[in-house]
Amino acid sequence: MSLAAPIDVMARQERRFALALFAPAFVLLLLITTAPLIFLAWNSLQKLDMSMPWLSGFAGLDNYAKMGGDPRFWNSLALTAVYTASTVVLQVFIGLSLALLVLQIPRGQALLRVAAILPIVLAPVVVGLFWRTLVLAPDVGLVDVVTRALGLGSHNWLGDPQLALISVIAIHTWQWTPFAFLVLLATLATLPPDVYEAARLDRAGPAQRFWHITLPLIRPAVVMVVILRTMTALSAFAAIFAATGGGPGTATEILNLYAYRTSFTELNLGYGSALAMVLLAITVLISWLLFSRRKARA
Amino acid sequence: MIAPRASRQALLLVVAGLLVSVWAFPVLWALLTSFKTERDVLAYPPLLVFSPTLTNYQDVLWGPSSILPNLWSSLVVSCAATALTMLFAVPAAYALARLRYPGRRISGFYVLATQMLPPVGLVIPYYLVLQRVGWLDSYSGLVTIYLTFSLPFAIWLLVSYFEDVPYEMEEAALLDRAGRLRALWYVILPQVRGGMAVTTVFVFLNAWNEFMFAVVLGGNRVRPVTVAMFNFISVEQTQWARLAAGAMVAMAPVIIVGLLAQRHIVKGLTVGAVKGGGRR
Repeated sequence: MSLAAPIDVMARQERRFALALFAPAFVLLLLITTAPLIFLAWNSLQKLDMSMPWLSGFAGLDNYAKMGGDPRFWNSLALTAVYTASTVVLQVFIGLSLALLVLQIPRGQALLRVAAILPIVLAPVVVGLFWRTLVLAPDVGLVDVVTRALGLGSHNWLGDPQLALISVIAIHTWQWTPFAFLVLLATLATLPPDVYEAARLDRAGPAQRFWHITLPLIRPAVVMVVILRTMTALSAFAAIFAATGGGPGTATEILNLYAYRTSFTELNLGYGSALAMVLLAITVLISWLLFSRRKARA
Repeated sequence: MIAPRASRQALLLVVAGLLVSVWAFPVLWALLTSFKTERDVLAYPPLLVFSPTLTNYQDVLWGPSSILPNLWSSLVVSCAATALTMLFAVPAAYALARLRYPGRRISGFYVLATQMLPPVGLVIPYYLVLQRVGWLDSYSGLVTIYLTFSLPFAIWLLVSYFEDVPYEMEEAALLDRAGRLRALWYVILPQVRGGMAVTTVFVFLNAWNEFMFAVVLGGNRVRPVTVAMFNFISVEQTQWARLAAGAMVAMAPVIIVGLLAQRHIVKGLTVGAVKGGGRR
């Protein structure tokens, strides 16, 4: 009897076992995620307005064509870009700066980590409500109390269109910067100290050390943070919903909220589906870009 | 050299103090507010010293707008979703992490891709289907859609724990002719007990905090506590102190577990991207 036979049997056995273990989850995922997506794509080709159900029917690409002349769509697209770009940049910038600072604090890092965990574990909807009432409410909110004390006056932080956008960006940044901070702090703590010793002997200044040693070493972690934070920002919902509901008017209505409001406030599920398809396409495109960039660097 | 060093230390401490307060303050402020009367909440300047009251908690728990039924909804949905998730995720994660089979890479990528779907793209088709079969405002409908985000997440988190188990343990068990299923059950699973516990906790917390699916697919019967927070806010009036008390009750499990499991949280949050780069 040759040795090849039992190995062959083993491999076949392993294959069968693997499929038996993986298949249930795979089939379930197909049913609960992929099938609904196909149904979403199909609905995006329908006229499906619950307020006018008698008009329902196949509409081809009408829903997509409609977007071209829909200023609310372009507004939501621009807001999505502003919201995503600004929150991600702010989180990475603030998170990295703080991590570099905190790394130099010999004691008390544990307390900082505990404080940083708090925003992350809270439900975004609760965060949105906290900010709407306790932090940003006119007259009694913490921010308003501070601006009044400083003589800057009281502001309607969530009622004024421009301030509202800044406010929801601030809320998102508040909740998720600790994430960037914690990940980057953990990464920085693992960097080899001898590299820095060598650099110091070479008389490299702090700025040089940062640009030429630290940044290249932590680049994978930074890219990972950017990927994850981008995905979260693109589908941000509950905090904005709780704080402004997308308003005032459409001042904070990112694409995700526009798709939601179209579908469940205006009950136009056909057009809502098409908007969701656009958001899906954007998500796929961006994650593909970021992932391929990451692989190229790795 | 001593003076600048000391001042630098002081500066760092100030920055650190600011950090702690910026992140912890809204939560602590909400905690404080939950013990105030509605009248004290609206005082200006804000009161730091006041006579605390427990009426908000009494109202929130046993009053006419009690959130106890909502806590129950959240508990049922989160527990059911967590149990089902683990049942499907553990075997799948083991196969992905450890076994050779055709299409392993692509199937791992598929799981990752399902995790990135924007929730609004799922909730629309779910709404239409559940409405047609009469499952709106039902536990089954909500649990099913919760699996869409918890299952991929759990699979990827568990894969990272399975990968840490030494291969020798498995080989030894197989040489013993123990059979693969027995080896998995008696040798491998005990090794990843900690990882399974962490995964269970995270899946539960994510389900507990979910909002969009709950607000669209829930209703009067199934109304998780995240949705019930809006009970305290209406166009005419915001019940500040009750909202704060309700939020404290609703978020207590999340905060407690979050603080207990803080060392694992970063890992849990980064899991997809760490593995998803396709380096293997």
